[in-house]
Order: sequence, then C-alpha cells, then structure tokens
Amino acid sequence: MRLKKANSLLITLILCVGAVVSFFPIYMAVINSFKTQGEMFASFTALPTKLHFENYSQAFHQTHLLNSALNSTIISFIGIGGIVICSALAGYKLSRTQGKLSSAIFFLFVASMLVPFHSIMIPLTRMAKDLSVQGSTYGLALIYIGLGVNMAIFLYHGFVKSIPRELEESAQMDGCNEFQTFFRIIFPLLLPITVTIAILDFLWIWNDFLLPLLMLTDVNHYTLILSTNMLFGEYNKEWSLILAALVLTSIPVILIYAFFQKFIMEGIAEGAVKG
Amino acid sequence: MPFKIYKKYVMLLAFTAPALIFYAIFLLIPTISGMYYSFTDWNGLNPNYSFIGLGNFVESLKEDPDFLNSLWFTLKYVFVMIVLQNVLALALAVLIESRTRTKGFFRTIFFMPNMISTIISAFMWTFVFSSVLPQIAEKTAIAFLGQSWLGDPKVSFFAIIIVSLWNGVGYMMIIYLAALQGVPQSLKEAAIIDGANAFQTLRSVTMPMITHAITICFFLTLNGAFKVYEVVYGLTGGGPGRSTQVITMNIYEEAFSNNFRYGYASAKSVILFAIVLIFTLIQLRVMKKREVEA
Repeated sequence: MRLKKANSLLITLILCVGAVVSFFPIYMAVINSFKTQGEMFASFTALPTKLHFENYSQAFHQTHLLNSALNSTIISFIGIGGIVICSALAGYKLSRTQGKLSSAIFFLFVASMLVPFHSIMIPLTRMAKDLSVQGSTYGLALIYIGLGVNMAIFLYHGFVKSIPRELEESAQMDGCNEFQTFFRIIFPLLLPITVTIAILDFLWIWNDFLLPLLMLTDVNHYTLILSTNMLFGEYNKEWSLILAALVLTSIPVILIYAFFQKFIMEGIAEGAVKG
Repeated sequence: MPFKIYKKYVMLLAFTAPALIFYAIFLLIPTISGMYYSFTDWNGLNPNYSFIGLGNFVESLKEDPDFLNSLWFTLKYVFVMIVLQNVLALALAVLIESRTRTKGFFRTIFFMPNMISTIISAFMWTFVFSSVLPQIAEKTAIAFLGQSWLGDPKVSFFAIIIVSLWNGVGYMMIIYLAALQGVPQSLKEAAIIDGANAFQTLRSVTMPMITHAITICFFLTLNGAFKVYEVVYGLTGGGPGRSTQVITMNIYEEAFSNNFRYGYASAKSVILFAIVLIFTLIQLRVMKKREVEA
C-alpha cells in the first residue's frame, strides 16, 4: 500500500515537471511581452514590475491585426464550408454506390492523401497564377477546398456506413429526390463527423504558413500567421514587440480551444480511428 | 434496366462533381504536371523548355551535395521523431490515464502547445533558446543551458527536435489516450490478479490492445516529419550555412529563391514523394501484421 502511494506521488511529480516544461515558453512569452527591453535584459524570468501595454498596441498596429484576423477568418470559413459540402456529398454517394467507377474515384481521393504538399507546391503555384487566383484571399480559400476534400471524403465515407439505409428509402417513398434526401435527412445525421472535420480543418487552415506565403503577395491580404512572420523578419530581436505579436496571434486559437476543448479532443481521436 | 444503370452513374457524378473539380484543379493536375516538369529543364518562365529524361534525378542524387545533406538531415529527423514522439506521447498518455482526478487538467496542459501554429511556436522557442536560457545559464552557472542552441548544427538538431516534440506530442497523446480508454478494465485487473506488475500489464495486455493506435501514430509522425518545414524555418532558417536544411527547404529554395529551376526542383519533390510513399507502405505493411482484434 505504501509502495502504491509512493508510485502515485512519483507519477504526479513527473507530470508536474512535464507540465512546467510544456508551459514554460508560453509563460516566458507572456510575462516578457509586458516588459521593456531594458527590464528583459535585467531578468527574463522575473515578473514585470509594471504592465507595459505599449508593446501590444504597437504589435496590434504593425501586424494590421484586425485586417489579417479578418482575412484568416474569411479563408477558414469559406475553406471549411466548401470542404464540408463537397465532401459530404461525395463521401455519402461514394459510400452508397457499388461498382468500379465508384471504387476508382474513392481510391483516387484516398491515394492522394499521401502526396506531400511540398511535392505539388511548384505546379500549384503555377496553376494558381494561370487561373489568376494567386494573390486573392478567396482564391486561397478555393485551394484549401481542393487540398482538403480527400481526407474529409474519407471520413464521411466511413461514417455514412453507420447510417441505416431505411431512412433514405422512406424519404424517397415520401417523394424526396436524391438531393432533397441528402440535405434534409442525411446531412443533419452527419453532424458529429462534420464537427470533427470542421475542427481539424480549422486548425490546419488557420495555422498554415507555407501555402499563404506562396499565394499571397499583398500585405492587405495577409493572414494572421503571415503578418506575424513578416513582423518577426522586420523587427528581428526586438523581443518585447515580437512577443506581444506572438501572444496576440495565439489568443484566438487558445480561446477556441477553451470553448471547444471536448470536441477538439474527440475530433482528433475520431479522425485517427477513421483515418 | 439500362436506364437505371445510367441514372446511377449520373447521380454518382452529380454528387462527386463539386469535390472532383476542386480536387482535380488544385491537387490532381498539379501532382501529374509536377511529375511531368521533373523530366524537363523548365525554369518556370521561359515558354520553351526541353524534355531531358532522367537528367534532373541523376543530377540531384549524384551531383548535389546540398540536396543529399538535406535528405540525410531529414531522414535523421524522421527517425528520431518517430521514436521520441511516440515514446513520449504514449508515456504521457499512460501516466495521465492512471490519475483519474487530474486527468483533464494534464491533458489540457500537454495538448495546448499543439493549438499554437508551428511557426509561432518556433518563434517563441527562438526567444527561449537565444535569450532566456543563456541568461539563466549566466545567473545559475548551469553552463549546459548557455550553449549555442541555434548556432551549432549539432545542438540545433536537438533544438529542432525539442520544439517539434513540444508542438506535436499532444496530438499523439490524445490518440493514445483514446485508445487506452478502449482497453477493457477487466483485462488489466485479470493480469494484476495473475500477479503481473504494472510494467508487465502494460507490455503484455495494454500494448497489444492499442497496436491500432500505434500504427496510426507512427503513420502520422512519419508523414508529418518528412514534411517538416516551419520549425526549421523559424528556428534556424536552415543554417548556419545549410547545416540544418531539410528537404522541403531545399526544394523551396531551388524553385523560388535561388535559381528558379522549376524542373529540377520538381524532380526533387518527386523524390520526396517516392520516399514518403515507400516508407509509409513499408511501415503500414509491417505494423498491420502485428495488430490484434479486441
């Protein structure tokens, strides 16, 4: 019994040390973002004597924070909306249709999940230029739809199997056509997996760096991550300003995490099991 | 009857068309045209370019030490990440799972870094490595902390690993936690009654029951690690020199910032694709065999 208690204490201790290490960079970023450069050089680990919000107001303006946050929101919203609608339609029908054509299309989507983004970034940039979607917020959102449907179709395809066919059959007896059946009966039933997909895609699109870097040229169209990256390059080593920008950029995702924690955890577990 | 078959195909295409269109334009065609460019000497601008067969592949694998170094560096990174990320994630998951009352708290803490964008994480850690740790070393005389974390290639490899783990372990931990919750309590209890200690129970009961999760986490780590870019970009920018350059960075540089050799860079990306594909197929084949049904 005593051994068990010692063990349990040891586990708690290990977890606490891990938690401190895990939280350390965030803690450092937050406390130092309220200091002046001089205060920092005196001690990085000390708490700020006075909260300097100047760093925040400067970072807020330099990153055009509201504008880039709005761009990120538009891109995520259109991207996720497009992925969900296109993939739900395709995933549902591919799951319900037997035959070679159906299997071939499904295989095409699934196989492409192995293509690394870096293997297509060169021709993709080319394609975006040719279609004149390069440089536009909306164009970028469309690209996310193209890159995101394969995984979403895979998840929908698996989930549809758990929905009894009788529901569609009775809806069709009542006079619904296939699209009405889908939107009125099936799509609402897909909600759990839709939430999963929306969350995974939100984390991906909101936090993505390389694709916006390749596609966006005008500062006014920059996403939040891209604006922060630019600031880091310009004000290299002006840590008080940079740290404030890093904290500001991370606040939206941390808030979303706080609100949707349960769904995010379930979404990841669900995505992994189906994936 | 023929009409019914015809209708089936029309409906199939009508439902899949929206996804297929976006997918074809932004993923399928780029994949295929990238493969085509890899056999040419195209520079991305000139409308005239010629087909040079395997020339790009031969050059990149034989005469391009930078590419080979980045490939080697990436392979080392992938290997270390697969081992450390999974061991750490599984260890954390097992420890957290065993503490019923604090489970939620620790899960939240360890997962939080995953929410922060990779590039932002890299910037935060740059601050820690370049400023905070050297100052702590000075004040406490722990010389180890004061080393040149981002300036010495040997050390910056570990800096890159640390930040990658910090960012990625939480995700894998969630998957392992979900799998652990699926292991029937009765099996573990039976093992303990039979006299197994905690470690034996873990090895002989829990591990075989979560092989499915191990396969997935290995797959995700393998695929993610080959694509590493942001962490290295944010921490070292590939330097000093090109000592920490990863394969994706080498491709980016070749295509967009150095020489605009699109054809040549495309050949390198086809090589990356081939490597990821081969490693993934081997991994899935080896691990699928070990999975047991609950």
